[in-house]
Amino acid sequence: MTVGVEHYVLLSMALFAIGLFGILTRRNALMFLMSVELMLNAANINLIAFAFYHGNLSGQVFALFTMALAAAEVAVGLGIILLLYRNFRDVDVTVPTTMRW
Amino acid sequence: MALLELPAWTTLAPALLLALTALVLFIIDSISPDAQNSGLLAGTTAAGSLASLGVAVWYLLAGVGTPTVDGGRGIIDVLGDQFVVDQLALFFMIIVAVVTALVAVASYDYMEDHTYQAEYYSLVLLAATGMSFMAAANSLVTIFIALELASLPSYALVSILKDNRGSVEGGLKYFLIGALSSAIFVYGISLVYGATGHLQLENIAAVIEAGEADPYGGLLGLGILMLIGGFAFKTASVPFHFWAPEAYEGAPAPISAFLSSASKAAGFVIAFRVFTEAFPVAETASAIGVDWTLAFIILAIVTMTLGNFAAATQNNVKRMLAYSSIGHAGYALIGLAGISAGGGELVMGAAMMHLFVYGFMNTGAFLFVALAEYWGVGRTFEDYNGLGRRAPVACFALAIFMFSLAGIPPLGGFWSKYFLFTGALEAGLIVVAAALVINSALSLYYYSRLVKAVWIEEPVTERDGLSQPVGLYAAIVVAAVMTLALLPLFGPVADTAVDAATAMLA
Repeated sequence: MTVGVEHYVLLSMALFAIGLFGILTRRNALMFLMSVELMLNAANINLIAFAFYHGNLSGQVFALFTMALAAAEVAVGLGIILLLYRNFRDVDVTVPTTMRW
Repeated sequence: MALLELPAWTTLAPALLLALTALVLFIIDSISPDAQNSGLLAGTTAAGSLASLGVAVWYLLAGVGTPTVDGGRGIIDVLGDQFVVDQLALFFMIIVAVVTALVAVASYDYMEDHTYQAEYYSLVLLAATGMSFMAAANSLVTIFIALELASLPSYALVSILKDNRGSVEGGLKYFLIGALSSAIFVYGISLVYGATGHLQLENIAAVIEAGEADPYGGLLGLGILMLIGGFAFKTASVPFHFWAPEAYEGAPAPISAFLSSASKAAGFVIAFRVFTEAFPVAETASAIGVDWTLAFIILAIVTMTLGNFAAATQNNVKRMLAYSSIGHAGYALIGLAGISAGGGELVMGAAMMHLFVYGFMNTGAFLFVALAEYWGVGRTFEDYNGLGRRAPVACFALAIFMFSLAGIPPLGGFWSKYFLFTGALEAGLIVVAAALVINSALSLYYYSRLVKAVWIEEPVTERDGLSQPVGLYAAIVVAAVMTLALLPLFGPVADTAVDAATAMLA
């Protein structure tokens, strides 16, 4: 049997939902970053599957851009998490609450 | 005019000049990494952004981007239509450049003791480059890349005070919500691409108009909903507004000014462009079953109400301004809520005018907070008591900003709100217009509370004389003068905004 585009979309939606679940439940900032990566990669699966489905390359090229941007985002994010650890001695995102309203 | 002989990419000069200035700062810093020449660095940043401003104004006056039927030089496509330079793009490039220049001048004093000066100014310029490119981006690819170019330096800028817990906490929250919303945004892009097979805005519109979009049903609507999520983050509106109070309060005050004015305006320009170019109201409604303006009507009312009510309960001045900035995002969202199949030029133009005026008055207000932090007077309303006697010029400017933000006639903030109000009525959005009036009335309470604190209340503690930092004073006075100068200049600004909106909706 052939794998239709709808299977890819189901896979990517499942991956997106797993990432979103991780963001909503995890308290560790690094796990949060990994969950965001899952969501971005879900979008990449979609882009590549749809590029194949529509027969044009713009989706594939955009997926490459997304990967590069995800890497840049992680670099900035790790820098901020490092600062978080230095200032609060923890990478738990629920610890910094100096500005609760 | 020699302009016609210039190649098309030179029309992106306002954005390219900002990028070039950032590179110049890197060179200056690599020549003498240990020197703390903040005057040179701030001066270069301000000069670069003023050059960008000058070129953008010149292009706008010379008719670049104005449709040829209106006597202009035509809308210019760059890099195979990935970017488009029209009146809308130039209008928002002007806002970004103005705010960047004011922030650079104010940072000269505010950041004078900071260890990483060159990094600070180059990050500001790189974020401004991203915002400027957002104004011209014409495909979902360039929109996403420009948006990330604006966001990534902003995360670093918010948390640049590395030993300050508030700054790090604000930066962390900004980053976490930003990363989440950009993941949602890019997933929305992938769904729109799946439904239409294109990433270029006009091509998406062509597929939707031909009725060929969305062979599976539901993907396009879900994709549009996720795109709205991405815009909501960038413009600090509901449902992705949680970061704004924390990030604005924790960040260095000039960066709060930068993010709440320039970054918000840039978020709105991509929302305007995507929703007017790629998703024509009537055809999209028949493809997905719902009119997308409905989403913006709800978001506008919820955002402005939430922002204003939360601002009214704050005791901390910077936090009050942060929530008021959410409220103003709600006002500008009316510009998208009022678009309909045959109209909406006035209301969209009014939203652009509001963002333009807001660029001066809100930047000025946050820069006053920067000045107060520079003096070290404290953060609450009580701490600001009696400042008017010590620093009358800055406090007079503050009164102008506050009354303009509240929308007291005849200041600029009144006129843009008036046009938003009439535009909303014209579009038949009576509930939205009523919410605008009620919220403006409420906002007068907390804005005038600050004016009362600085001018009427007795100081809690006796102060010595306050210093007068040159850069901060200059930036605040320029912002105040421009807020006042918009009284006679409001006509041309309004005409340009409505022309740009008409060209987009045509």
